[in-house]
This record gives sequence, structure tokens and C-alpha cells, in this order.
Amino acid sequence: MSTSEYRHWRLEFDMDQVCWLTLDREGESANSLSNQVLSELEQIVTFLESEPPAGLVLQSGKKGSFIVGADVREFEQVESVEQAASLMREVHDLFNRVESLQFPTAVIIDGYCLGGGVELALCFDYRIAKNTDGTRLGFPEVRLGIYPAFGGSMRSTRQIGGFQALQLMLTGRMLRAYQAKSMGLVDQLVSPHAELRWAARRAVLKGRKSRGPGLIAKLSNWAPVRKFLAGQMRKQTAAKANPMHYPAPFELIDAWEGHGNKPLEMLDEEATRNARLITGSTSRGLRRVFWLMERLKAQGKNSDFKARRVHVIGAGVMGGDIAAWCVLQGLEVTLQDREMKYIEPALKRARKLFTRKLRAPALITGAQSRLIADVEGTGVARADVIIEAIFENAEAKRELFRAIEPQMKPEAILATNTSAIPLDELSSVLEKPARLIGLHFFNPVAKMPLVEVVLDKNTDPGEVQRGSAFCGQINRFPLPVKSTPGFLVNRVLSPYMLKAMQIHREREVPMEALDKAATEFGMPMGPVELADTVGLDVGLNVMGMLGGEDAAEDAKLLKSYVEGGKLGKKSGEGFYKWKKGKPVKDTDAPEGINLQSLGGELMAPYFEECQACLDDGVVADSDVLDAGMIFGTGFAPFRGGPMFYLAQKEAMHSIAESAEIDVPEEKLNSEEEKKGE
Amino acid sequence: MNEQLRKIAVIGGSRIPFCRSNTIYADKTNLDMLSSVIQGVVDRYGLDGVQLDEVVAGAVTTHAKDWNLAREALLSTSLSPLTPGITLQQACGTSLQSALMIGAKIASGQIECGIAAGTDTTSDPPITFGRKFSQRLVKAGAARTAKQRFKAFKAFRPSELKPVLPANGEPRTGMSMGQHCERMAMEWNIPREDQDILAMESHQKAATAYDDGFFDDLVTYWGGVSRDNNIRPDSSVEKLGSLRTVFSKNARATLTAGNSTPLTDGAAAVLLASEDWAKQHGLPVQAYITASRTSAVDFINDEGLLMAPTVAVAEMLQRTGLSLQDFDFYEIHEAFAAQVLCTLAAWESEEYCIRRLGLKSALGSVDRSKLNVRGSSLAVGHPFAATGARIVGTLAQILEDAGSGRGLISICTAGGMGVAAILER
Repeated sequence: MSTSEYRHWRLEFDMDQVCWLTLDREGESANSLSNQVLSELEQIVTFLESEPPAGLVLQSGKKGSFIVGADVREFEQVESVEQAASLMREVHDLFNRVESLQFPTAVIIDGYCLGGGVELALCFDYRIAKNTDGTRLGFPEVRLGIYPAFGGSMRSTRQIGGFQALQLMLTGRMLRAYQAKSMGLVDQLVSPHAELRWAARRAVLKGRKSRGPGLIAKLSNWAPVRKFLAGQMRKQTAAKANPMHYPAPFELIDAWEGHGNKPLEMLDEEATRNARLITGSTSRGLRRVFWLMERLKAQGKNSDFKARRVHVIGAGVMGGDIAAWCVLQGLEVTLQDREMKYIEPALKRARKLFTRKLRAPALITGAQSRLIADVEGTGVARADVIIEAIFENAEAKRELFRAIEPQMKPEAILATNTSAIPLDELSSVLEKPARLIGLHFFNPVAKMPLVEVVLDKNTDPGEVQRGSAFCGQINRFPLPVKSTPGFLVNRVLSPYMLKAMQIHREREVPMEALDKAATEFGMPMGPVELADTVGLDVGLNVMGMLGGEDAAEDAKLLKSYVEGGKLGKKSGEGFYKWKKGKPVKDTDAPEGINLQSLGGELMAPYFEECQACLDDGVVADSDVLDAGMIFGTGFAPFRGGPMFYLAQKEAMHSIAESAEIDVPEEKLNSEEEKKGE
Repeated sequence: MNEQLRKIAVIGGSRIPFCRSNTIYADKTNLDMLSSVIQGVVDRYGLDGVQLDEVVAGAVTTHAKDWNLAREALLSTSLSPLTPGITLQQACGTSLQSALMIGAKIASGQIECGIAAGTDTTSDPPITFGRKFSQRLVKAGAARTAKQRFKAFKAFRPSELKPVLPANGEPRTGMSMGQHCERMAMEWNIPREDQDILAMESHQKAATAYDDGFFDDLVTYWGGVSRDNNIRPDSSVEKLGSLRTVFSKNARATLTAGNSTPLTDGAAAVLLASEDWAKQHGLPVQAYITASRTSAVDFINDEGLLMAPTVAVAEMLQRTGLSLQDFDFYEIHEAFAAQVLCTLAAWESEEYCIRRLGLKSALGSVDRSKLNVRGSSLAVGHPFAATGARIVGTLAQILEDAGSGRGLISICTAGGMGVAAILER
């Protein structure tokens, strides 16, 4: 059989008559299961069915990467529910045929094996994975608003039991090779110093088959157990995601509860439910979020700057956490403050972070050795990146820059974490003012992936690119923003929080209602809780810069709180009382209030300010703005971003108007009702 | 084969940070570390997919399954699998000896390039069954019938299951390196304080070297670590002076944990080549190996176990016609501070040089300001087989930074041997 017949696959037969099938997608750096790839696979399977070899081994032709899933780009081309369902059923048929091949089959996995990759692997008799750092297995589909649609929900529950399989599919968690092995997803591990290829040959020639689920796993697929577990899972998932906004996990739970031990029915449910999901607005929104994330990450690829050492000045909440995060990414960090006693708390917090993220004592010790307290500031001369995170005082910062510039390496990046002071007020003292950029991190640093890379018209664009590359190096998403008050995120959040305060003050709408209205819209937390979390003193400061006259009354209120020691979450009380890191809310308060229309009122200033930012050129375009708001404020990801959401609404309005149909309530933001007021 | 001897170029070294045993590298194997440092050399010099003529490497504390260590390690790197790997071991002299052997083949024109490397971990000791029980297992394995299998365990005693741990000492004397060195220290009257000062200086120089960025290209981040974790930048004579002696209860004992090298895990590698090969690959040469000598002393009959380098250096100087003072740098492996000081004392001793080294007079003193200028084993640690490659890589970097110069390397080994070499730029 000529191996040049296929664009994405290679077939080779060895002297034992074993067929070696290599997926090496043409023109792509990673393998994904596109329509073309799958149709070629269909031809190959037809051939193998007619001329069965002694065995079949599937491997990837991409070094260090197996198959990363279906081709997400092709999702956009799906036009109808029927088309989606039919495509999925075709893949089900194909995968069923792979599973039914009448000779031993094995698959060897090295690198990322996600989504469709796992689904295809589960069709093979035996799965072997290389136990290296780079190998990962998982089902990320839920993050795109669907669940495994290529037979994965049926095969994974059958292979490792419903409980474990559902956990994997609901969380999108990525397993390392040895974890996949102990779960039963993978049958054999091969050490990094051994060869997958020879292990596969042995497995196929001996006709090895996967052991299949153990007793407990089998039991979890039993109807009464399914019912119980499904109830638990629904509860747990609902605590994290609103079923209205994120339907996919709940569809999966329903499918499994109803049909968990019936393979054909599970497949049918997969096709039916996923066809609905993939054409739905949530999936579209989440796919957009994925694409936006890639867009932001790409900002960091325009420079090959790579840091080895970082120096952070200011061991406060932000400085200390930035330092700890950089250490976690493999860098050596010197952390400076006036005295050791100011650095100690940061070191303690860092230790907690390392323990939580690294687990292994050896790695924790290693990380601690790379976070170096530096009262003298000796790290300045050796650092590749210097981040200033001292208190928000322009004169103090200028003093600092004056002092350290002569000591710095000429190629070092100098960045400030200021959230309020314009860049040119700080760069004025430098010999080379063009080198200063802002790297504005968000709190908590370990959870918020966005970094605003601040520049003004005098900033050297090369420095912005290097700063963005550094963000990429430490696994953060860089978003270039113009040095204007509040940059992007704080500028948009400010009127949003202000509006909430106004409504609360003027119309005595309870805080709980305001927050609930916002979370029902899809925000991760409401404006009042957000204000408390950010800190009322910080809010006051930001308002001082951004708020106009409207803010005067609210500024007074905030000031009184702050002066009374009510700073919000960090002081145990702000608008809410806080206990154990959670606000104490009166759950009856939102009773009887039209949360939908309230939500519309609350979000209106948010959207207006987004538009204003665009008009002022704070960020390059609306896509990047959406990315910033999603990753910086958690704006309802399933809505695809504020500007996207507005555009969608516009489109729907014009369609509705031209068709003269009533657009259902839940599709409209109450902008409409407000307009009518 | 060439009629003329060619120059042996040291392109440069690469290593991972060293860690005290049973700390951060407790779960790492020799194979992990050795393949990583070879890959480190490959990454530093852009040798992805390249076929080298030889990789020569070894480990002292090694598992039976690692009988082909060098070859297995390089197969886990991105070097071409057409590269042969030779596993070689000479206790602490391993990777220096590997470098010299590769060098000799380069000089005589037999090969163009090679990597010399070494690794050791005492956190992963090869623990085995005793001979009696092992033999029973062999018999049982060869048995064809149940009766024969049963017979293999005739007169079995549970005590036979007692595991055999690798001993850290001389097989023939039953004493550890430290105990031998204690005897040397007493014989040469090396004061405790001198040893502690040497140790402190080693720590300070190593810490400064890291701060100066000296190790930036030599040491790669690995296993979550960016620096050797044994270094104490705040080392002081007071702190060292407070430690108790560990190898002898004798009142005259002087060796402590502070002035002896700790048990360490780590690996190091260095790339050597002919000048032609270096040019072809666009790689600058840091230094050249210009001489070497391996020697042994009769430690069973009362010579100091770790005194062999005095002989190696003396013989090497004789052959090259150089004097002990003709060097800009000295890299003397600090197995123990006392070992270094005994060595220096021996070279200064007219009696020793005449009687034992067969010289006409004392070799003289070594300028202490030129000794181990970037710290050495006492500070960074001593994974036995890795030290040779570490020192070659370090000295080559020192010479490159200095622009030109000549450096002396001296390494003592278990079994009473010594390896010496000269690097020049």
C-alpha cells in the first residue's frame, strides 16, 4: 500500500506484518482531528478491514505531542443542529469500526493527548503512555461549551467507571501519565529512558488487551448509583456554574444518569445533545474566549526575550505575590523591601502558594531557594526584569527609579505595577524614559491571568514587545493598553461599581440584590462584593482619579467607610461583613426584585465605558478589549466578551425588527426597558 | 591517523546545580541527571540531532541495571543515536579521565569530538541481596522441577535476606575517605583553623561567582533548582569552628562536616573537539588540554590515601618542564580541606619532594589567591564522578574570562589515585 496516498497519515508495515499508522497532520504543528484527517482515516480503516495486518499501532508524527483534539476552527463552519449531529454520528461510526478491528491494536502516547485524541485512543485495545513531564491526558471540551462528542462520554465511563470519567469531563482536568495509568485510562507506562515503539510492538504481538474497569468502577455505572452520583454532581457543578449560562456539564450529567450503562444510547445522546450545544450561544461564546486567549498569547511571541532573574521592589500584597508567581514559573527572584520584617510575610505567603501548587517537598524546597530576600537591593544589577511595586506615590517611585537606573543592566526591562499614576510622570526622571513600561498585575496574582502592559506615546515599542514576551514566559496574558487613567480594567469597573452604589443609596435596593442581578447576568461576582474584595481604600483612590462630579456623594460614603476602618474583605468588614473569606449575605434580600432589569441597569455603565475605552484608543480593538474584560474581570465568558455581546444583541434586534417577532425576555438585556423609561 | 598530534580544544561545559544527598534530588536517578547534562551541552552548542564520535561517562554509585550508562543516557537526548557511549569509571577521577581519554583520541586524530561527563547520586544507592541469597535465586531460576526449586532454598535462614548497602570506604582498609584523610591531616599537622578558613573561602567564592553571573552559562536550571544548594554565602570561621569532628574521636582530630565535602547528587558534562571540528561548527574554543598524568600511591602500606595528586602533578611538571609556579589558576579538588592543605604542604616540603617525588628540591608554594578562584567542591558539593567535568568546564570558563592563561587541575580519588591536567588558553 503506497504511503503517499494520504496527506495527513502514513502507513508502514514492518517485518512482523504489524501496521504502523502515523498521524502527522500536513501543515500543522500539532495533530487535530479535522474533517480531512477523519475522512482519510475512514479510507485507511476500510483498507485495514479488507486486508487485516498482524496488528496495528497508532502513533503521532509530531514530536512530543499526540493529538490535541478536534479542529476547533471547523466548529464555526457548522450551520445547523442537524448537520452537527450527522457529522458526529459519522465519527461515531468510524470510531466504532476502529474499535471492532479484528486484530490487536495499540496506541502510543507521548505529549498532549486531549479530547478527540483520548476518544480515539479509547478505541484501541491497549494504551501505552510515556511517563514524561510533557505528557497530559484530558477532556477539555467543557471549556468550549460542549462535552466529548466523538464517543468519549460512552467509552470513558465504560473504561474507568462513571464517577471518575465524569469528574474528568466536568472539570477538564489534565492528567499526567502516571495518574492516567492509575485511573485505568492508560494501560502501561514507559519510562522516559525507554522506547514506546518497542513496548507497542510487544503488546501487539502478544495481543494485549486493556484490563477494563474494576469492580467499583463498574458499580458506578449501575443505575441506582448513577442516580445518586448524578444528583451530587449536579449540586457541585451548579455551585460553580449556572446551568442557564453553562449547559454542557448538565447535559453530560443528564445523559449519563439516563443512559450510563447503554453504549448505543450514550452515543445517541452525545450526538443529539452536543449538536444542540455546539450551535448554541454559550459554545460560540466560549470558543471565542479560546480564540481571544490565543490572540493575547500571540502578543507575547513578537520578541524572543527570555528572563532568568527578576527583581521585585516592594514586598506588599502585589509585589510579594508577583515574586512568588515568577518563582513558580522557574525564575530566580530577588524580593526587596526596606527591612526584612516587611519581606517575611511575603515569604510566608509564597511558601503557602508553593505548597499548594507543587505538592512534592523537593519542588517546594527548590522553589523556596529561588525566592531570595534582598534588603540591600543587590539583585538590581543582575536582574533581567525589574518590577516596581511599592506604594502608590509618584515621588517615591521617581526617587527609586533615579537610584536604580544606573545600576541596572542596559538590556533589563524596567516595569511599574502602578494602577493609577501616568507613565510619563514616572519616566521623566530616567535617562532613557522610553524604556519604562507598566506591567499591571491583578489581585490575586496566581489566579488572574491578565497583565495590562502599559505604554504611552513615548514608550519604545520594542520594550512593549519584550514586556509582553516576559508575560508569556510567566504564563500570563499580556494586553497592551495606553497609559490613561484606570487603563482598561479599572476604568470600566469604576462606573460599574459606582452605579451599584448609586442605586443602593438612591433607591435603597439591597446590596444582595445588586450582586445577585450581576451574577445572574454572568459576572463572577457582583459589584458590591467586588468593591469589598478590591478594597474600599483602593476604590476610593481610583474614584479620585476617574469619578467625576457624580461620584462626589459616593466618594463621601466610601471615605466614611474607609476612615471608620471598614476597608472591605481585608479588614473583615466593608459593605458586607466578611467571615472566613466569604461575605455574609442576607439571602432573602433579593426577594421580589426584577433581577433581569436590575442587571441591565448595572451593566449599562460597564458597556458604555468599554465603548469609551475603544473610542479613546486605550486598547487596539474590540476583540482585545473583550479579552481584557474576560480575563481581567471575569466578564461572563459564555457571552464572548462585552463588545461581542453587544454586537450579538444588535444583530438579534435588527433580525427581530425586520421579522417583527417578539424577542423572548431572556435574550434581551433590559437596555430596552431602560430606554423606555 | 595523523602523524602529528593535534590540539585538544575544550569548547565548554554544562552542568545542573548540585544538591546535598536526600534533599531536592532525592528522587532523581543517575540516568535522569546524566542525560540532562549531556542535553545541556547539546542545547548550549546547538548539537540537536548531531552525531558525536564518542560520549564517555560514568558513575561511582551505580545500579547493576545501568551497566551501559553512557550509551543509555545519550539515547535519551537529542543527539543522533549513531553516537557511541562508553561507560568509564575511576572513582572521583571519572569525568576528568573521560575528558583525557577523549582528548588523547582527538590529539592522535582518531576522533573529532566527544562529550566527557559524570554523574552520581547517593540518594539512590544500589541495594542488593547478599551473595548467599542471590545464588539461591539463580538456582531457583534455573530449576526445571518443583523439587529442584525447593532444593535451592535448603537450609535457608531469614538472616540471608539482610540487604547489602554500598559501602563508602576503602575495601582493603575498611576505613572511609574521611578517616584516611584524618590520618593525613595528623601526619602533616594541618591545623583545624586553616581547614575551616579554606572551606569558608570556597563558600564565599562560589556565592560571589553566582552573584557575578559567572555560572550563568555553565549551570542550567533543573529540577526546580537554580543554584547548588550546599553553598553558604554567610559561611564564617566561627560557625565552622563550632562543628564537632566526625571521623575520629581523637583529641587531635580536625575534620568536620564543614571542612569535608558533603554527600552530593549531581552531574556535569564538557564538550571537547579538534580545532577543525570546532571551526566547522562555528564554536569558539575556551581552552586547550595540553598535558595530563594519572598516578597511584601505595596507601595500603602507609602512603596517604589522597596524596596521589602530589605525584601526578610532579610527574606532569617534569614531563612538561614547567614549574609549580608557572600557573595563573589552580583547581585542586577539595575532597577535604585537609586534603588540599596536605597536598600544598607536601609540595612545599623539601624532604617529601626529594624522598618521595624524586625531585632535586621542593616544588614550592602555590599562590593562594590563584587557588579555586570560583569556589570548589567544599562549597558546591562533590557528586563523585561529576567533579572532573565540573572542574574542566569551570576552569575553561575562568580562562576564557581572563582572556589567556594556564591552569592546573588536580583531583584525588578513592583507591589512592590521582589525576592531573593542564588547561591553557
